[in-house]
Parts: sequence; structure tokens; C-alpha cells
Amino acid sequence: MTKHPSEAVLALFAGGDLGSLRRWRVERHVASCAECRQEVSELSELRAAVPAMMEPPEISWTKLAVEMKANIRLGLEAGECVSAGRSDARGIFSMRALAVCGSLALLLAAFLLERPAPRIEPMTSEAAFLESSGSGIQSKTGDQSIMLLNTRARDARNVDYLASGNAMRARYVDSETGYVTINNVYAQ
Amino acid sequence: MSELLPPPPAAAERQNRFVSDNLRRIFLQIYRIVGNIADAQDLTQEAFIKALQRQDQLKDEQKAANWLSRIATNTAIDFLRRHGRVAFCEMDVHTESEQHSPEELVLQSEHRNYLEDGLRLLTARERAALVLRDVEGCSAEEVARRLDCSKATVRSHIANARIKLRRYMARRKR
Repeated sequence: MTKHPSEAVLALFAGGDLGSLRRWRVERHVASCAECRQEVSELSELRAAVPAMMEPPEISWTKLAVEMKANIRLGLEAGECVSAGRSDARGIFSMRALAVCGSLALLLAAFLLERPAPRIEPMTSEAAFLESSGSGIQSKTGDQSIMLLNTRARDARNVDYLASGNAMRARYVDSETGYVTINNVYAQ
Repeated sequence: MSELLPPPPAAAERQNRFVSDNLRRIFLQIYRIVGNIADAQDLTQEAFIKALQRQDQLKDEQKAANWLSRIATNTAIDFLRRHGRVAFCEMDVHTESEQHSPEELVLQSEHRNYLEDGLRLLTARERAALVLRDVEGCSAEEVARRLDCSKATVRSHIANARIKLRRYMARRKR
């Protein structure tokens, strides 16, 4: 007699889940081995009993179906409300963002027209100087430097820098959310 | 501000038909994985809402039904992953058919507890694989597709599930 197949192989054999060659080998073994035949027989019985094991208890299906259909409708309507609310909020937000940006642009234009052209070069103070770059504002003191990164600015071209006295300002608009971020760095 | 418009009548009718045609099948499929009516009800609703929110997938009815089954299986497995293994709970069950005697009810309840104890031994994926293969009659390839894993993994889940249940029943017989 050939070697006994493993329990897993017999479990697969009982459900017809083996490839043809392996199935043929197991079939041959099972035909001559009472122990494995018994195991396969139990596994086959079990397999036949599984659907009944998985059946729900007797329930009032009609009532349950009506309830589920109503809840599905409600869920879909709620989903539509949420998505419509989101798109409305996005619309309002864009309008507001546009208005805020417009006002700021007007104020900035008036400010720029009223004052001499700002120096966008590195600014110095007694102890430190500030420098703007595409990625942020850098404060340098001797050999040491620290940089405030414009992490949300995806494009350096969207960043406006403004130097004023011992401070430097970076202003940028997040293209995804429309949020305006202003960083002020003061040199001391 | 835009007002909410109801779906056009044809779309609404298609949605209703889709729900009616598949509700029982999906409920049973989920119940067999989670083993609990209340959870199966919630998860069935969740699966349909997920599916119906993607109207574009519903054009081909056969594909839509397969796609819905996949959503249902994943929803049930995700639920079991979040909540551990199958949790059976008592429910007030209102039957539509004949009344049973108290003795019959006790026997039924004992038998159900016995089966449920056995099913508790299976992991979520073993149970899902067993349901799809032995109850729904899907091929190993189809089970692998539905569970998003290889055929070898499916065979391993199925073999483990059958072995665990057989050992459990053998222990209980002794």
C-alpha cells in the first residue's frame, strides 16, 4: 500500500478540489486503504452538511426585506445629501476663496504701488539675515541656518515673497484646497 | 444652491429591480460568513449602498451581480477582521411558518449551538472560502477571484476549514 495522503489532501479530495493526476493517485490509495476511505467518507458527509449548517434560522423574510430595502433607499439618499453638501460647500468655499484672494490682491497692489519696490534679496539684521528660496524662508546666523519650508506649496511659482524691515513674508495658495497660508519670519 | 433631484424614473426602477433580484442571495451570502442576522442585515444594506452609489457598474446585469457578490464578501470579511471571529447572538426570531413545540425549539436551539460552536473555530477567510466553495458551489478560481488571493491559498483555506470541522465533530461524538 502507498503512503497515506495528508489530512489536507484527503479534505481536498473529498470536495473534488485536487488536480487530475493527484486525484487519481489518491483514488488508488483510498480504494485499498480502509482508514483513509473512512476519513474521506466523513469529510464527504461533512461537506454535504455544510450548507445546512450555514442556513439562517427561520426568519420573517418579508419583513426583513422591506426593512432592508427602506434602509438602502435611506442610505442612498443620505449619501446624495452628503455629496451634494460637499460639492455645495466646495462651491461656496471656492467663491469665498476667490473673494478673499481678490481682496488681498487689491490690497497688495495698492500697497506695492504706494511704496518703493521691495528688496527681495537676502535681508540682513545685526545677528541674522533672511533669504527666500523656492522651498521656503531661511534664517542664517553665522554658520547656522534654519528654514521654514512652504510644505503645502506645490509649485514655487505660486509663492509670493515680501521683505519688510527685519521680516520676510511668504504667501501661497494651496491649489487643491484653496487655503491661503502666510508665513512671517522675523530676524532678531 | 442646487436642490437634490430624485433619480430619473428609469434609473430608480433599475435600482429597485437590482435590489429585489439580489437581496435574498446577498443577505444569505453575508449571513453564512458572519453567522448573525443583525450583522448580516447591516452589512447587506452597506453592500447595496456601496454598489448603487456606482451606477455606471450596473449596466450589465450579470457583471453587476458578480460585482455585488464580491462587494458583499469583502464587506463581510472586513467586518469580521474588525470585530474578530464570528459572533453569534440571540435574536427574537419571528417565524413565518408553523409553530414549534417547546421541546422542538430546545432541540433546534441545541443543534444550532452545536453547529455554531464548530463554525466559530474557522477564521473569517476559511469560513468565506468554505461558503463560496461548498455552499455556493463556486470553483476554486472563482473563490480566489472573490477573495482576491491565489488558488493555492483558497485550497489551503478550504482544507483547513474542513479539517477543523471534522475534528470538532469527531470530538463531540466521543
